[in-house]
Amino acid sequence: MSAVAAKPQAGGAMNPTAMVIGIVMLLIILALCWYVSPGLGLMALIGITIGGVLIGFGTHFVPVGGAPAAMGQAPGIATGVAMLAAGAGLAGLFGGAWAAEQGLVVATVTGGVGGGLMMAITCMMVNFVYVFGMGIPSASGKVAKDPITGDTQAEFKSQGTEGHGLPFVSFVGGVIGGFLGGAGGTLIYLQLLQLYEATLPAVMGVPPAQVMPIAVAAAGIFAVGLFLVNAVLTAYNITGTIEGPHDPKFKRWPRSIVASAVASALCGFVAILIVAL
Amino acid sequence: MEQIVFGIGITALTGALATIAGSAEDTESNIGSQGDPNSQVQLAPQMGFLHRIFNKAVAGEPPAYGLWCALGAGLAWAFMAMQINAVLAIVLGCVLAVLVQGVYATTAYLGRTASLAKFGQPVYIDVIKSMTSVTMAHAFIAIFCTVTLCHLINGALGHPFPLPLLGLIWGIALGAAGSATGNPYYGKERQYQNQKFGAGVPISASGNIVRYAEAGERNSLDNGFFTHKIGGSASGICFGLIVFLEIWRTILFEEISAGWGAIVVGILMILIFTVADRYIEVWARKNYGPYTEPKVAS
Amino acid sequence: MSVKVEVIEGGIPHNTIMIAGLVSTLVCLYLTYLNVLTNTEMFAFFGGLAVVTALIWGSHTIKVLCSYGIGTGVPSAGMIAFGSGVIAMLVATKPVFGMGAPIVALVLAAFIGFILGYISNNILNMKIPAMVQALTEMAAVGALSLMGFAALITGGFTFAGLTTGTISMLGMTVSSNQISFIGGGLIAVAFLLGAIAIQHPFNACLGPGWKQDRMLMLTAECGFLSMIVAAIMSFALVSAGSAIISLVIALGGWAYTYNQYICLSKRDAAAWLDAKPIPEMEGH
Repeated sequence: MSAVAAKPQAGGAMNPTAMVIGIVMLLIILALCWYVSPGLGLMALIGITIGGVLIGFGTHFVPVGGAPAAMGQAPGIATGVAMLAAGAGLAGLFGGAWAAEQGLVVATVTGGVGGGLMMAITCMMVNFVYVFGMGIPSASGKVAKDPITGDTQAEFKSQGTEGHGLPFVSFVGGVIGGFLGGAGGTLIYLQLLQLYEATLPAVMGVPPAQVMPIAVAAAGIFAVGLFLVNAVLTAYNITGTIEGPHDPKFKRWPRSIVASAVASALCGFVAILIVAL
Repeated sequence: MEQIVFGIGITALTGALATIAGSAEDTESNIGSQGDPNSQVQLAPQMGFLHRIFNKAVAGEPPAYGLWCALGAGLAWAFMAMQINAVLAIVLGCVLAVLVQGVYATTAYLGRTASLAKFGQPVYIDVIKSMTSVTMAHAFIAIFCTVTLCHLINGALGHPFPLPLLGLIWGIALGAAGSATGNPYYGKERQYQNQKFGAGVPISASGNIVRYAEAGERNSLDNGFFTHKIGGSASGICFGLIVFLEIWRTILFEEISAGWGAIVVGILMILIFTVADRYIEVWARKNYGPYTEPKVAS
Repeated sequence: MSVKVEVIEGGIPHNTIMIAGLVSTLVCLYLTYLNVLTNTEMFAFFGGLAVVTALIWGSHTIKVLCSYGIGTGVPSAGMIAFGSGVIAMLVATKPVFGMGAPIVALVLAAFIGFILGYISNNILNMKIPAMVQALTEMAAVGALSLMGFAALITGGFTFAGLTTGTISMLGMTVSSNQISFIGGGLIAVAFLLGAIAIQHPFNACLGPGWKQDRMLMLTAECGFLSMIVAAIMSFALVSAGSAIISLVIALGGWAYTYNQYICLSKRDAAAWLDAKPIPEMEGH
């Protein structure tokens, strides 16, 4: 539910000066981190930035239709984009956190698979309800033919609507989005966990085994917070709804990469300051 | 071996709890009319269609359920830290969380309807009195099942996250899954029941929701009864599958090839669901048929 | 189809609310320092009052921002506020900042919010006039509300206080990291409590008949409601007496504001009917 007022048409244009300033900010933050805590801190910050970019980029793939989708007027899932991406990514983070002792690569991929699995099940059940519960086949409103399967879309679109359901390319987009989001969130969590496990015992003066709950919980809540920040920034980028990777709005992804990188680096640097100051 | 059997038993229990939670969550959000379909309940008076539907505008379902489940889990955690028995702690925590949810629901209805005064939409006190307790009851089932499954995951299966954080995660996932699956059914099928079956709602009909229906003037309890059958069940299956498969593949295959076993099984599951989805899509195209003939040159 | 909202003029100007909210939040947070001076936890309830005043400020900021039509829903604004605020708040509790923790939280969160606003407006090209200031304020509100919750639940806002607690085992009290605000994950509950409470008032009062006093009264009600459950959770971490004081104050504040909110809704509603049919309208 958003308000409609006199909003200047920003649209999909890119702002090169701002992008350059963004990249400069990113480099400044990296330099500051290298100064304050080279080694562990800098590694963690790079990991967090990559994780944030994965989340931001992955959210572009998730097909979200918003309020019109709930009435069969637009393709996509009828939920808010930030929260749907958060749901999938957090389910992935859950799995990734469980596999944390098995190493960085395994845990990150596990997190990704968890997110992708959640999106796969959700997207399939969405189509299930559309087809068997409401009798509506999937149709995209933005392309004439599905890029992956080649199915023509126009003749299945109901009159007076922009399309409905989840065409196959949207399904695949959803799974990819869930995978990237889960992987990104897990990466952020693991980097912070590694950092806090190594440095909190010295900072707090307690044995490492005892500090585990603090490290896990702090890393977990920061991962959730960073997840939400990146997902909301992407929601701003696509102005709320997107059909999937085939949607013209998808071309706006370069802006989101820079935005997510700067936001994640900044928040990650502050998270590192907890143990570095 | 015993470890795995114990793990599988707990997994089955969490899967069952998740199915009930998903079904209750979707029914609750349809009785209260929350989430994206609620935009129609908000829009209808502005187009001149006054109604007696409960207008519960408490954020969307994922953040709202994230809060109720995290709150229930946090209160349960606090009670358990005070050495109260786990079952009693979870029940008490969920009761308090549901009370918060009920208060939010009433303030949302009063606020939104009072702000529509310009269009003549009245505030119906009997709607508040009858809907609020029903929506709270369904929410209690959903929250209780979710907090219990979080407690099982934390206590019996040994997940490192503390209980409130697990409640946040699964609450948001519950809201996302239930909202994605159940919202179109409530929005298109029930709110616009007078439109043609088997087609999306045309934009020209926006706001013209059904207000006079089979049992007199439609209210939200009728909506809950209707959507529960398909929308609620589908949401339950969706969330149940998510929780069950996620935990099942971890418990059984985590040890194989240092974690890669679980990953491979996960990817296989994704492929199975992709094939199922493609089958559903093709089935619909073949059996429902197009509106017009496909154009040769597009 | 989206809801049309006209940008309402009149009422208390936003800058007044911002300054009043900022000052009262900081004052309430510093009043929890009486706990340190008197070596009790009885003044923890000031943390809850800090949450209420911060939320009042924050909800008005959300109203200013969302009136411009940002294209996504209102809840996202609450999420980004608290997502950026939680990190700033934890840094500010470090012992090196000592008594200046609330000020540090405010400055650091405002800085993060400013950068996020710049990113949204320029890199993401949203070009909304109020965006930068709104995101700055919201991040600050997020950090201060979380600090208020921390003070309410644990009695203070030092890093040590947030990460240690006591657990009684076999009759002895043992210090534990797991039974604490952060270690037990209560920070996650505070995060969501605040994130929903900050966006609910504007979201719930959305519509052509939006009135400022009704929305602000609803914000106070949400703040006190959050304070009730936070006070119940604080029973695990502070002494029973202090928790009871917080609970009683929260219950009293909530009952008053809820009652007032119902009266204001009655004032603004088109009609207040009980078991009456849908009114007849021409042509429908």
